[in-house]
Amino acid sequence: MKNKVISLTKVIFKNSFQNMETAKEANTNKKSKSMIILYIFVFIYLAGIIGVFSNGLIKELIAIKQEQMFIGLILLGIAGFVLIQSIFSAINILYYSKDNEYILPLPIKPREIVASKTNVLLITEYFVIAIIGLIPLSIYGILTSASGAYYIAMAIVLLTFPIIPVLISSLLVLIVMSFSKFAKNKNRFQLIATLFIIAIICVLSFTTSSQETSPEELIEMVTKANGLVETIRGAFPTLGMAIESLVNTNLQNQILNLLLLVTTTGIIYILYIILGQKLYLKGAVGNLSSGKKTKKKIDERKLFKKSTLFGTYVGKEFKTLLRNPVFFMQCVLPAILFPILIIGLSFLGIKGEQNSELESIVNIIQNKTSIYLGIGILCAVQFFLMFIYISATAISRDGENAVFIKYIPVPFIKQIDYKVFPNIVMTTFMSILTIIMVEYLLKIPIIYILLIAIASIIMGIFHSYISIIVDLKRPKLEWNSEYAVVKQNMNLMWPVILGLVNITIIVALAIICNFINSYIFIAVISLIYIFLTIVIRNYIKKNEEKLLEKIY
Amino acid sequence: MIKIENISKSYVKGKKSIDNLNLEIRNGEIFGFLGPNGAGKTTTIKMIIGVLNPDEGDILIDGKSIKKESLEAKKEFGFVPDNPDMFLKLKGIEYLNFLADIYEIPNEKRKERIENLTKKFEIYDNLNSEIQSYSHGMRQKIVICGALLNNPKNWILDEPMTGLDPKSSHDLKEMMKEHSKNGNTVFFSTHVLEVAEKLCDRVGIINKGKLVFVGTFEEMKNKFKENKSLEDLFLEITENEE
Repeated sequence: MKNKVISLTKVIFKNSFQNMETAKEANTNKKSKSMIILYIFVFIYLAGIIGVFSNGLIKELIAIKQEQMFIGLILLGIAGFVLIQSIFSAINILYYSKDNEYILPLPIKPREIVASKTNVLLITEYFVIAIIGLIPLSIYGILTSASGAYYIAMAIVLLTFPIIPVLISSLLVLIVMSFSKFAKNKNRFQLIATLFIIAIICVLSFTTSSQETSPEELIEMVTKANGLVETIRGAFPTLGMAIESLVNTNLQNQILNLLLLVTTTGIIYILYIILGQKLYLKGAVGNLSSGKKTKKKIDERKLFKKSTLFGTYVGKEFKTLLRNPVFFMQCVLPAILFPILIIGLSFLGIKGEQNSELESIVNIIQNKTSIYLGIGILCAVQFFLMFIYISATAISRDGENAVFIKYIPVPFIKQIDYKVFPNIVMTTFMSILTIIMVEYLLKIPIIYILLIAIASIIMGIFHSYISIIVDLKRPKLEWNSEYAVVKQNMNLMWPVILGLVNITIIVALAIICNFINSYIFIAVISLIYIFLTIVIRNYIKKNEEKLLEKIY
Repeated sequence: MIKIENISKSYVKGKKSIDNLNLEIRNGEIFGFLGPNGAGKTTTIKMIIGVLNPDEGDILIDGKSIKKESLEAKKEFGFVPDNPDMFLKLKGIEYLNFLADIYEIPNEKRKERIENLTKKFEIYDNLNSEIQSYSHGMRQKIVICGALLNNPKNWILDEPMTGLDPKSSHDLKEMMKEHSKNGNTVFFSTHVLEVAEKLCDRVGIINKGKLVFVGTFEEMKNKFKENKSLEDLFLEITENEE
């Protein structure tokens, strides 16, 4: 079994990532070297941001003798991130990957397939953990002058701790998907199943994290050195062991906790494989073909109807996005979910918990028109924009069909406008949603908030056009599952990087120009984005040949 | 009419995938484009339809340059790609309407054309289903219907018979004959030599990016002065060029 699992893991992993370099043509050495340098630069940039943030937070926590809370927060963050993230990955890698068509007929046991696919899931999670876990925990080690044992323990914890969240998500996916044979419409089932699993995870995390702590207990925890970390210890099954492995000053205890962590993880892995082999084939077989098959008579009056070019093209783009669960969840849903989750939850936190400090901050901000407030909202919108991938995947989503752009008699720039349009619709929706929630919370004067809304929408349009350039320059056209377009796609770093650059620039502008009237400042920002959008669109129009050379 | 003038294309510097190719596909003829795998058939077709730019030379479709008047030239042909997995999330009828809108086909005409074509290929009853649920052959049929929807004068088909059942294959061949009889052009690539032999007015054989033969089957026999089958002649021509 061992060898089969290892070779299958290798094959599935390579197959998933074989098109990370998206261009079909053979890359020259010079090109691939420059790309490697670029990726290193991007990695350093992201690592730098996380590093600076971690550094600040650890120093603050050291000052109040609560630095161990940092380890708890990072590990909890990893658990939460991996839980949510691996739901999407698990559904796609276990069930909707094209390699199932080739793997299922082979004489491989279900447990070997489940083990290999789960390994691939885990390996992909390690890439992200390298950024969100390794860097902050290393900085913690440096700032607290930790011994060599800490770094060894850190490596073991980072390798073992994410396994259980992956197994929980995968097991939920295996259970829910084993009912898929009863579903008539596989696509709808996948969408509903994913949302259902996300809801389960949210409910689970809410119930485990909402431990009742009385004010007296809280004061005691805060006053005791590193007492605050106790509040989150029970938020995830192995979190306590992982924290103890890293913060315990007693080497014996540290080793004991590490052993406990590794053993618990091992036992849960074995249980998962046993359950997985019973559940997997139930969902996987019969899932190979999907798509709604009807022989309904077509309504001739409705269906043979002429539309405008704009209507038909944008309609096609929307249909592809909405009917494809992976694209819908990764490209459209964040536009709705992110503002609601982040702003909504913080709003609930402020209103619901009688948090006097936060409430007083809100009272200070309310009814104000400061530049920083406007910029703060724009930065929040820009942050949400980074996760709307409609434009950034507009070409790649068509896969090998993307050549279609080149042989139909429709001008290139028009096609780009139509492809970008759904992104503009969703970014506008997200901006308005964010603005409404902020307005409800902060009661900003109506003219000022309207001005901010306009600036946000224009920023969204700019973001939509600039994102499609990334996809045009490096389209990922050969993929074996839709998941590869939205997850195993290095291009999607670019909207994040461009977003961070944009945030840096507008914050810098706000600092430099803080003497200007805030209304004028936001209006000028809007004009700058209009100008930049025109420049970017003209660039696309004039460089058709160059931008299309990777699509053939 | 499709006129290919001195086109060359290299993917890798110094190695020509298509080398100075000249070819004219006249009105009223069915032209078969043959060649071993990797000979340059698909690259040539991609250059004809404007997906790839030739490094040198030009291609004229009904006198319109695919380089200089690309939009006008693109209106003059219908193209069937070798991979029929097109826009799988669209329903068959949505795909055809989408193409009808792109080629600006008026309502009455589109209804008539869609009905005629899809009934001929026996997929009319499946038009309300997503293309993803179609079999390979059905996908091939819907793509062919889409390409022929605007009744283009020039048909460019890359391996069009692949996956078609015998009846549909027969119908498509009959449609190709009828189309050429009406003074139009049919240019298609194929690996099936019998189809080429029976259907084509002329064939072109490409090997390693070079056109090694253009003419009728009779001319081929005369040239090589041998009374062999097309298969034997094809093998001889392509092997001699090795």
